Amino acid sequence: MVTVRRWWDRKGLQIGLLALVVGSAWILRQTQGELVLETYHAITRPLEMLQSGPTPEERIRDARILELQTRIVDLESQKTKLQDLLGYVEKEPLASRPIPARVVGRSADHWWQQVTLNRGANVGIQEGFIVKADGGLVGLVQSVTPNTSRVLLISDLKSQVGVSISRTAAKGVLRGDSSAEAVLEFYEKVPNVKIGDLVSTSTYSQKFPSGLAVGRIKSLDLKKLPASVAKIELFPPIRSLDWVAVYPKLENQESANQMPQKSK
Amino acid sequence: MKIPAFGGSRQKKPKSSERKAKFQIQPLSRWHPRIRQLLGWIVTVGSVLLCLLLLPTRLPGMELLGIGPNWLLIWVVAWSVKRPVFSGALAGIVLGLLQDSMTSPNPTHALSLGLVGILTGLLQKRRFIEEDFISIAVIVFGMAVLAETIFGLQLTLIGDERKVTDIWIYYQRVALASAILSSLWAPVVYYPLNRWWQKMKLLEQ
Repeated sequence: MVTVRRWWDRKGLQIGLLALVVGSAWILRQTQGELVLETYHAITRPLEMLQSGPTPEERIRDARILELQTRIVDLESQKTKLQDLLGYVEKEPLASRPIPARVVGRSADHWWQQVTLNRGANVGIQEGFIVKADGGLVGLVQSVTPNTSRVLLISDLKSQVGVSISRTAAKGVLRGDSSAEAVLEFYEKVPNVKIGDLVSTSTYSQKFPSGLAVGRIKSLDLKKLPASVAKIELFPPIRSLDWVAVYPKLENQESANQMPQKSK
Repeated sequence: MKIPAFGGSRQKKPKSSERKAKFQIQPLSRWHPRIRQLLGWIVTVGSVLLCLLLLPTRLPGMELLGIGPNWLLIWVVAWSVKRPVFSGALAGIVLGLLQDSMTSPNPTHALSLGLVGILTGLLQKRRFIEEDFISIAVIVFGMAVLAETIFGLQLTLIGDERKVTDIWIYYQRVALASAILSSLWAPVVYYPLNRWWQKMKLLEQ
């Protein structure tokens, strides 16, 4: 008994400290690093002002972009008129009040493709919100703290997006491969596509609204089994993201016409 | 402020003209041992926190193909290289849990970093290699490749939506870039930490 007492006197403090360290690491892991991310945000906030890139408004001034914007507005109004004629009710379109945010950090390990934004729950961001950048879809919000949020990019190995080719409505699944390109697996063996076709999210996608631009076909491989694949060049600069916009997630997934729902 | 020397035993500084300032911080050897121990712990935890905060950054010079150095791995190697195996394993597991908190709980990083801690402790560098600088860079290089391999295996075995071929194609890029960067930046973390811990150890005795 005396020896146990003596051993405890010597090692008690060490064991106590060890338990404290392991316990706090476990707690940090369970809360997904809220304290650490808040500290990171506090430290990088003054540095954000040093690296100010062009704001979103400045970049829109390019004349060709303005011309394309006019065409889009034209086509949208034509589409709504035609839809009213047919009595067609589509899924709720993307809300027009996005939350702008800036990328302050990239992923904390080498295998996950994530970015950290400098806006969080305090401005209303929640898990599952959609993140867009100049060029198109970028990812999905994975976890949120009061002042930061973590986004899983579409270039991550785990991300799957239901997409369709804008020109011919051929559908498939887009998977990331941790680079600036992604791999599109079509649903059919011989899809009606060619190189240069534009890719956007499809109506089958459960997590994303339809019609968001994603990229363009760079190369096709029609001989692969079980279905053809294509390499997609992603429009947004995944490697060097700066300003992004966060949109609320979809509320209703049903559409009035009888489109079959795939389990995606 | 000169303390009048009544008894003489409470005097801490010699009354020589070498005193430049009126208030001076005592050298560490004269501190109360408990406070010194506390300071040691604060520095250790602070260095872990600094490595954690460096992880999401990609500062110029610390990036290769979008991949940064594995700061927590460097810290684990610096800790376990001159400590027993159990201590190294524990440090690896704790830091692995911390890295999980910054990315995602599963698959866990505690396994890869824990194994790195165990192997580094087993190396018994003290006995075989006296030199510090190059040997640490080489050890970190090997351990970085090992850590990425273990994580790649974890991802493969989980077997959810990821494609196995994609994992191992990406692995080649990651293993090389991470190993090169981590071994280049390892001395920056190892050198000051090692000196601090050695100093603390000397003062304990």
